[in-house]
Amino acid sequence: MSYKFEEQSKSARNAILAKLKAQVAGADYEKLPEEPTFEYAKQSREQLLENFVSLLKSNHAEVLPIKEEEIGAVVVKQLQKRKIDSLLYNPNAQYANALASSFGASSTELTLLPFDFNVNENKLNYFNDIPASITSSRWAIAETGTIVLWPTPDEPRTMSLVPPVHFVIADADTLHSNFASLVEQQNWKAQMPTNVLLISGPSKTADIQQTLAFGAHGPKELIVLLLNSQ
Amino acid sequence: MSVNQYVPDNKESKYADSARAFRQNVAKDLADEQLRSNFHGAMNYLMDKRKASFPSSDELETLRQQCKLIKQRALVKLPLLLEQLENKLHENGIQVHWAETINDANEIIAQIIESKNGKNIVKGKSMVSEETALNDYLQARNMEILESDMGEYIVQLAKEHPSHIIMPAIHQNKKQVADLFAEHVKGFEYTTDVDTLIGEGRRILRDKFSRADVGITGVNFAVAETGTICLVENEGNGQMSSAVPDLHIAITGIEKVVEFLEDIPPLLSLLTRSATGQAITTYFNMITKPRKSDEKDGPEEVHLVLLDNGRSQAFADEELRQTLQCIRCGACMNHCPVYTRIGGHAYGTVYPGPIGKIISPHQLGIEATKDLPTASSLCGACGEVCPVKIPIPQILQRLRVESVKKPTGSPKELKGTGANRKTTEALTWQVWSFIHRHPNIYAVSMWFATRLRALVPNKLGAWTRVRSAPKPAAKTLHERIKLRTEEAS
Ligand code: SF4
Repeated sequence: MSYKFEEQSKSARNAILAKLKAQVAGADYEKLPEEPTFEYAKQSREQLLENFVSLLKSNHAEVLPIKEEEIGAVVVKQLQKRKIDSLLYNPNAQYANALASSFGASSTELTLLPFDFNVNENKLNYFNDIPASITSSRWAIAETGTIVLWPTPDEPRTMSLVPPVHFVIADADTLHSNFASLVEQQNWKAQMPTNVLLISGPSKTADIQQTLAFGAHGPKELIVLLLNSQ
Repeated sequence: MSVNQYVPDNKESKYADSARAFRQNVAKDLADEQLRSNFHGAMNYLMDKRKASFPSSDELETLRQQCKLIKQRALVKLPLLLEQLENKLHENGIQVHWAETINDANEIIAQIIESKNGKNIVKGKSMVSEETALNDYLQARNMEILESDMGEYIVQLAKEHPSHIIMPAIHQNKKQVADLFAEHVKGFEYTTDVDTLIGEGRRILRDKFSRADVGITGVNFAVAETGTICLVENEGNGQMSSAVPDLHIAITGIEKVVEFLEDIPPLLSLLTRSATGQAITTYFNMITKPRKSDEKDGPEEVHLVLLDNGRSQAFADEELRQTLQCIRCGACMNHCPVYTRIGGHAYGTVYPGPIGKIISPHQLGIEATKDLPTASSLCGACGEVCPVKIPIPQILQRLRVESVKKPTGSPKELKGTGANRKTTEALTWQVWSFIHRHPNIYAVSMWFATRLRALVPNKLGAWTRVRSAPKPAAKTLHERIKLRTEEAS
């Protein structure tokens, strides 16, 4: 892209860097002070899980501990309870067939909507006609009650943001005690994707008189289907 | 003139004038009881939330020390990290632009938008874009720009600017917000129910998101190692602005860069807990690349604008450089007795409260901001809660000195140094210092001061407006001690 400003930006770059470099010339980067880290007490898997679930709940997420084979039935029941008749999903997901058969067997009319469209050309439909979505997740973090989404072409980044109700499948076996250990142990720095999302509840705001309200822009409800927690 | 020659516009920031009016602003806002009660309630709430989120002071202090050192490491390597960030972002397909002044940054953004024929612009919360007054700039170019953070949206409706860096509309209560909606939102049925008000905002803003072709956001951290832009938020508007439109432009100050991805978790933890007492915000969004060819959403182009605007000037002085450690949590204002009473708008600057007092002189010069560092009792609360341990009270004292000292004209010197210098005051202190360095003269002058105490005038300018005039004692302390020792022996 070429635009009138390129030259200006280049000279600004050189001017800023020159000013900064003049100030730190000769700094010895080998001799920087040691940075302390806090050692958190080790917690058992049960404690971590308990913390994870209770934080999510206190942030108004619904947490449903289930078995893998129950995904379809549980989702159908939750949708019926909310009188929702369709669900955006990833047809290549592991659980896709299970969802399809539960939807087929449902007593009410339920439609599975595959994410097979380009968002740019379908924004109005996307924002107005899709009441719910389901996505997988990659990891979970106990210390903050957080679910880590690692969007892919099959499960795009806005899938967890635009539909008003978001189901997310989390696996207790991927639970890490905190964000720092997750980033380090899973070597994030070598594999950052287009976008990573950490989600810790439904969208909210306290911008009017510090009164908490849910569903500011993103999902009003976050329903966590928690596998392998029993 | 070739198209590549842009004439930089060094027009003064609109905040310079409002900062100059500090004293008048204070008088006005102190008299506004509604405003004071809104701030009082909000600050108490935020202080309690922060406190509850740090149950262990050991953990808090270790984290503060760690994060201070992370930021200081990033600063001492700043030019290298900025180059590394630029290289990484290029590799990832994100375009980088540099601006020395606010208007240069605005011009870059305007031209990027024009090059893509952008029409509907939505903006996530960004204090740096407030700093550059981007909305005014784009509107003057006939571009419509809509604030999408709920608080910012309210502030934009009211034609105001944020009064707090985390909670922009904290100066308004729900009734005031409802009145605003009644005035500006078509079909709004009057209510002060917060859920309904937010529901209205949601309806309007989601409609805008679904039509937006340009999204502008700020940046909380930029990671040099991986070329990653991080956004911290609860609402999802930052994500809407960065993931839904075809074009995403992020703007940030050059001090937001950190070295490693592993620097992020401790900084994030301290930021959200210090700001709102949350263990983490609802969303933490890490953007590393524009949309790839096989992806179904995300922006086709991502741009990052790096703004200096006085930061390299703060960088030139090791003591003042600490100002750049700031992660914009707002804790210093939440705990500031002055901020709580006068509110955020009285400062007249983009960044209010203690951080505003120490950063604005670099952005607007000392002349426009000369009263700000004096509006402090130096109680020290800001320095005690600051998650990256910026010694704010110490820097305030330093800025007081800068504002009264004789300018030397050195390029390192802050613009407007000596703006508060008054000849009589300077002379008085010279005499004072001379007397105190000469014991004989000191003794004589004290003798006169005590003996002539009746001559002290009753009116001493500003001092006696709210206090009675001080009178020297009849005898000096030295004399009295001498007397007592004589009596005892
Ligand atoms: S100066 Fe410290 S306390 Fe104030 S906003 Fe910055 S980081 Fe937070």
